[in-house]
Amino acid sequence: MEFQKYEIEPSFYDEMFHGDGSPRQHCVELHATLSDLTGLELSTMQERVTRSFYNEGITFIVYGNEAAGERIIPIDCVPRVLANAEWRHIETGLDQRLRALNLFLQDVYNEARIIADGVIPTDVIRDCPQYRIEMRGLSALHGAWVAVCGTDLVRTNDGFRVLEDNLRVPSGVSYMIATRKAVKANLRGVYRRSNVLDVEHYGKLLLSTLRDLAPPGVTDPTIALLTPGVYNSAFYEHMFLARELDAELVEGRDLIVNDGYVYMRTTSGLRRVDVIYRRVDDDFIDPLVFRPDSYLGVPGLLHAYRLGNVTLANAPGTGVADDKSVYAYVPDIIRYYLSEEPILANVDTYLCRQPEGLEYTLDNLADLVVKEVGGSGGYGMLIGPHSTAEERQEYAKQIQANPKNYISQPVLDLSRAPCLIDDQFEPRHVDLRPFVLRGNETRIVPGGLCRIALKRGSLVVNSSQGGGAKDIWVLPD
Amino acid sequence: MLSNSANGIYWMARYMERAGYMCRLLHIQSEALVDRPVSEIQFGWRRIYAAINRNPLGGVQAVGLLDDYNLVDAYLLTDELTFVRDNPESILSCLERGRENARQIRHCVSDQMWTALNTEFLRIRDVKLTDIWLTSPSSFYEELLAAIDRFSGVATATMYRDEGWHFFRVGQFIERVQFGCSLLLTQKMIENQTGELTEASWRSLLKIFHASGAYDRTYSIEIQPDLVLDLLVTDRRIPESLLRSVDRTTQELSSLGDGPDAATSGALRRQAGRLGALLRYDWPDRDDRDEVLRQVLQYSRQLDNLLSKTYFNYAFQGVPRSDIR
Repeated sequence: MEFQKYEIEPSFYDEMFHGDGSPRQHCVELHATLSDLTGLELSTMQERVTRSFYNEGITFIVYGNEAAGERIIPIDCVPRVLANAEWRHIETGLDQRLRALNLFLQDVYNEARIIADGVIPTDVIRDCPQYRIEMRGLSALHGAWVAVCGTDLVRTNDGFRVLEDNLRVPSGVSYMIATRKAVKANLRGVYRRSNVLDVEHYGKLLLSTLRDLAPPGVTDPTIALLTPGVYNSAFYEHMFLARELDAELVEGRDLIVNDGYVYMRTTSGLRRVDVIYRRVDDDFIDPLVFRPDSYLGVPGLLHAYRLGNVTLANAPGTGVADDKSVYAYVPDIIRYYLSEEPILANVDTYLCRQPEGLEYTLDNLADLVVKEVGGSGGYGMLIGPHSTAEERQEYAKQIQANPKNYISQPVLDLSRAPCLIDDQFEPRHVDLRPFVLRGNETRIVPGGLCRIALKRGSLVVNSSQGGGAKDIWVLPD
Repeated sequence: MLSNSANGIYWMARYMERAGYMCRLLHIQSEALVDRPVSEIQFGWRRIYAAINRNPLGGVQAVGLLDDYNLVDAYLLTDELTFVRDNPESILSCLERGRENARQIRHCVSDQMWTALNTEFLRIRDVKLTDIWLTSPSSFYEELLAAIDRFSGVATATMYRDEGWHFFRVGQFIERVQFGCSLLLTQKMIENQTGELTEASWRSLLKIFHASGAYDRTYSIEIQPDLVLDLLVTDRRIPESLLRSVDRTTQELSSLGDGPDAATSGALRRQAGRLGALLRYDWPDRDDRDEVLRQVLQYSRQLDNLLSKTYFNYAFQGVPRSDIR
């Protein structure tokens, strides 16, 4: 199917095409293959991919719409291709960023030199709801407070920028792998000819990372994945990863803490657990320390953690480093701890806690994206250009009532990639979430989850807001 | 293996087995609706509802002993037993609960098992009785039954033979003992209430146990109710006979470890032995066969309870300081 009707707009970077409509060097092979396929072949392929997700139950649940039940994430079968040099730039930048953020977490829960030296104002940390006072004085093994990170990157005509660091319980990696499996099965020839770099060994890298983090003296750690349960939006992923790790998938009710150690209930009795890859938020992991009404966690878990008898990955309290107010300081954090210039740029960010940031935000609400500092998943944000005057007025009131809770950023011209929509190639805005692991070294699989804003013109890529996903092919050198 | 996962596998197997029984009952009933006498159709409804210990929606009219279903519409009964989610024993409910258990433990079962179960559930989830009633309800049940059998076959072909497999098998066999025993009891109960049952009703019972051909080969094509019962209770060559299911349960239990508490584990194994002895030694010698079946049902429920206490929901007796790995 030809691309004649495909629209290229100079204001948006197109992932496949130059401005003159010719395919980029690293996309030539894929472009030729797609052009040779008929519309029917492409739509059949799209249907096969969707059907395989449906039958295999690769699903998620949208909160607030539980009645709709499990949904499959809409998968677009046209991959997005990255040249090796582009990927190396991203990979180096992500490694740098995660090393700096881990050093920041170690510091902010101990000496807090970065505050004493005036790099970050005290109140930014003090007011951050994700700062966990209970973690003061603790250290993480190998400094890996964040063992698993899913950083959101966007590309504009100016290059890649980091939109968000997800340092708590980032999800999406299972969809990355499932998408890869489905897409490569349908584009076999071009996949082989392109020598696409593998992502399916992610589970092995995660296992090595979690083993690195076993408590001292434990050589063959028992690893468990803690899930909130089958009604959690990302339960499929929890199950998928438990299998990849050959670890038990546990809920809070399966674990008990006794004498400072964590045990799980097995058919042959209680068995000690050394490393917990937890996919339960801080607030819910231990009702004795955090929310007392939580049934998802394990009473006494933090006590065992403080004693060093169990490792939690990620450590509690990492949310302070992906708070959207702290995000604005990440370039300074990199310079402060590593004495290096950031490789990946931030998006310009205005903090409403600062008078000039507040004024700018309120004056330019129609042109900005405004987010809650602790928000995620695309919830609770205002996209100025897509909002009504009434919505902006209402949102402005919320900002004025609690300015510390908001930041704003310019609306970005997110890059676009060809997607198969109604049997035609159409451009849609995309982002990129690579997954970075940190044990005693950094491990990254080449690629990530490419999220798509499926609605024409929309910039919201979150799956909970109707976004889809596509495979990312990183080519070799 | 995590207790919760073992419990999930056990119940997945039980619900799928139960769905199979319900499907077979409704398949036979849907065929009876075409050309069998009203009394036989009435009997079929009574047997199904009594076996699952349930009254149909709106109740039944007890005009005469065998007339109690004569005012109830077959369409409504079929719907309630096949698609109505409020009925926990309907085929759709059983499949849904089997799938829900499977979804929670799908990292412990093979991909093929999950896909077989999920695909079938998704296929029938949105089917309505109106979609099949006028064409061929019978072939709907045949296809569904084939899918349930396929699930069981895929499990046998692909499941790793670890503890999970043994809990899967225990679930299948205990469900066979309980559902099978309920059916036999129901048959006897209706016989006691109404006098001699028709040959067709015994023949259909044999079909539910996949034992019709075996009966003919073992005895003759002439039905003798006592011989039918003997075959279904004690003939170990019948895959779903009570004795074979109990023996296989015992065998699977012997492949499982002792669990954390030797006393409970011992009680579990003794209970399985008691159940086998009841079928092996009491059944042939006792005249009160209804009472033996009632005891079998009671013992099998106790067995299920002990299984749970041994492996799934045991009490913590304190944790020793030493490492348990």
